[in-house]
Amino acid sequence: MRRIAVTGLGVVSPFGVGTKAYWNGLSAGVCAIRPVTLIETEGFRCRIAAEVPNGIGGSLRRSRADRFALAAAREALEDAGLSRVERAEAALVVGAVGGGMLEAEAWYWERYRGSRPPSRPTPRSTLPFAHAEALGNALGLEGPRETVVMACSSGAASVALAADLVADGVVATALAGGVDALTRICFMGFNALKLLCPEPCRPFDRDRRGLSIGEGAAFVVLEDLERARARGARIYATLAGHGMTTDAYHVTAPHPDGEGMVRAMATALERARLAPKAVGYANAHGTATPQNDRIEARAIREVFGPGQLLVSSTKSMIGHTMAAAGALEAVATVLALVHEVVPPTANLETPDPDVAFDCVPRVAREAPVEYAISNSFGFGGQNVTLLFGRA
Amino acid sequence: MARVVVTGVGVVTGPVTGGREHVRAFLASSGAPVVSVRSSALDGLVDETEARRLSRICQLSVAAARIALADAGLGPGAGLGLVIGAEFGDVRSTIAFVDGYLRRGPGGLSALLFPNTVMNTMAAATAIAVTARELSLTLNAPTVAGELAIARATAAVRAGRTDAVLAGGVDEFDSILAELLADGGAPSETRGEGAGFVLLESLDVAEARGARVLGEIAGASWRAIRARPYGVGRDAASRAIAAALDEAGATSGDVGRVWVSASGDGPRDRWEQAILTEALRPARPPQTALASRTGRHAGLGALAVAAAALDDASGGPALVHAVARGGTHVALVVRNRGRHTHDV
Amino acid sequence: MDPKEVLDELRTILVTRLKFDQRRAADMTLETTLPKGVEGSIGLDSLDFIELSIAIEERFGIVMDESQDLTRHFLSFDTLARFITARTEAA
Repeated sequence: MRRIAVTGLGVVSPFGVGTKAYWNGLSAGVCAIRPVTLIETEGFRCRIAAEVPNGIGGSLRRSRADRFALAAAREALEDAGLSRVERAEAALVVGAVGGGMLEAEAWYWERYRGSRPPSRPTPRSTLPFAHAEALGNALGLEGPRETVVMACSSGAASVALAADLVADGVVATALAGGVDALTRICFMGFNALKLLCPEPCRPFDRDRRGLSIGEGAAFVVLEDLERARARGARIYATLAGHGMTTDAYHVTAPHPDGEGMVRAMATALERARLAPKAVGYANAHGTATPQNDRIEARAIREVFGPGQLLVSSTKSMIGHTMAAAGALEAVATVLALVHEVVPPTANLETPDPDVAFDCVPRVAREAPVEYAISNSFGFGGQNVTLLFGRA
Repeated sequence: MARVVVTGVGVVTGPVTGGREHVRAFLASSGAPVVSVRSSALDGLVDETEARRLSRICQLSVAAARIALADAGLGPGAGLGLVIGAEFGDVRSTIAFVDGYLRRGPGGLSALLFPNTVMNTMAAATAIAVTARELSLTLNAPTVAGELAIARATAAVRAGRTDAVLAGGVDEFDSILAELLADGGAPSETRGEGAGFVLLESLDVAEARGARVLGEIAGASWRAIRARPYGVGRDAASRAIAAALDEAGATSGDVGRVWVSASGDGPRDRWEQAILTEALRPARPPQTALASRTGRHAGLGALAVAAAALDDASGGPALVHAVARGGTHVALVVRNRGRHTHDV
Repeated sequence: MDPKEVLDELRTILVTRLKFDQRRAADMTLETTLPKGVEGSIGLDSLDFIELSIAIEERFGIVMDESQDLTRHFLSFDTLARFITARTEAA
């Protein structure tokens, strides 16, 4: 079985454009969750989110989400130093949910109100597959191309599926990631389900009250490890294993015992042929809903034992970025290994006594860690765990 | 590397609903195109709570998945994975959700509709209905989503990551969507609706449980051909067809029939022909375009694979082929069951 | 509002928002139990209850505090009608 190296990173986050801005924000424990500016929020209990600041660049004829994707994907490809031929053969796997819905909504809202909006987005620029089409064309990617829709786990699933392509020898390199821009459907829907906290979210806090929404994009370049070494590529980390499971329990509620979460983490360890004690850090799904954090903490404990590893949720700083989350958090996990610093859980004042781990409250922790996992336990029981190893 | 066999099929489409015997009868018949699924097609396939709670597109998916499992002689929960392709997802629910807010403000939002605004809702509902607790994946692509899902599922079984997968796709026809597509300058083509799944297993697992094998997916490959987003490419060179034939140990001259994705979109259909001509020349095997009887939708991938597997009269392995504007391209090489036991 | 009037409104909500059949809703009485898992109930799950809450807030103009455990009020149409009546009187 081929081993997989991570050789390029690209990010657009609520801290701005670029991996550097992202890590600077995360390692300083800055919370980027603020009053929403992109859409109307009157009448909703929660009116905050982590928006990407202005200055993304890219043509305004493209959707916001496409611009995120292009900026992040370009950075990752340039970071990896792939040639034109290597790009042409690289696989592309994109996690997406909202697609270009923000612009489609704006048009639909205006039409409903009887005014004439300037331009009409088409279904093909609105649907999730729009990003892969735009990226494939703009970046000359002609290898296997897929768009994965797996709710909150889309970004992580993309990385896992891309890894499978490299491991199976189908391609030598792959570009994988996730993207989501803020949309009215998402913001209103989570408000309606009463899952949003009116203040910045507080994962693993005893008094947590729900999640915060964010937006952004992240891409990683995955490559056969031997090949990466042979061409002298910079190797950020290895992707040592992954697990993907489904609760098949309820459309919105997770399995109460975290059964699918446990299996996802256990499978990742098994595929990597590692014992649980080898893992020093878990970047949690950590949405700050009372339910998720409780069940996830219990599941982590079942797999790893109490207190065995550091756990933090970067959603405390950038919110839940939906389809981008799994990819943004994969990058955060890789950077934690590279810098030997575990990003904190911001806004964590009173750790929940039921959580059997040090959740790195508010301040980043220096911690040389050999292996780390990133969990994405999506809405309705779609579970992905990625296991990264220090290079 | 495991060999991947097809052990069940279930389709819910305009002209045919059922398992392998229904598919066989459909292929032997002819008739005018039927692009809509009748409501009676779902009778007995969803229970009372599902009929209340699941949107129509989710019901189509659940129904087809149940038929496929029954056709395969499998009960729910047998370490099952699920890969569903879709081009449009649950458009009706998304529009209804948004209309609820526009008409009545926050109080008009529906919690029941909200999960359907994410395209993996069909997979979520189907996974619960058939207790599929391994990988449960939704792939969104123009035109080729069903074939793509089957290709991805085949790779998973071949690599031993999963023992059994339901793979296929579902799309629902919606008049507002049709209007938006037309207004947006989408090319005209015959669109339909429906759901279709095949059950894929490793040959060892299938034989061990005495499954009735329809055929084998001997090669599966997917790539992208250079083209502008949503455009027809100028290139006709295909790496996907070559890779799939190679994996199957077959040559272009062996191909007995091609199941094409032609749907009435003239430029795209012509591009598909150019790709096939280039890849298979000098051979010119006969072709079948299922969309001419059902309209194009993501359930056709499974129908094509099952049809290819059931085709006793084919002179060699079949090529199930699909290419989308924008360049996503899938090739599957399917051997009839009479041939699967002959090792290459 | 008396409990029967409230029940009629709830029946309408069951049909328009929770997608129950008209005839099924007409058969429901104050004694009918709601939550899944309770014998003879109409089988509402957690998502149904969220939908029901949103609809009740909209129709009756009350606000439900989700930090409180309101489970006991949602046991039957009778308990629910009393809860709604008490809240609308208080408002």
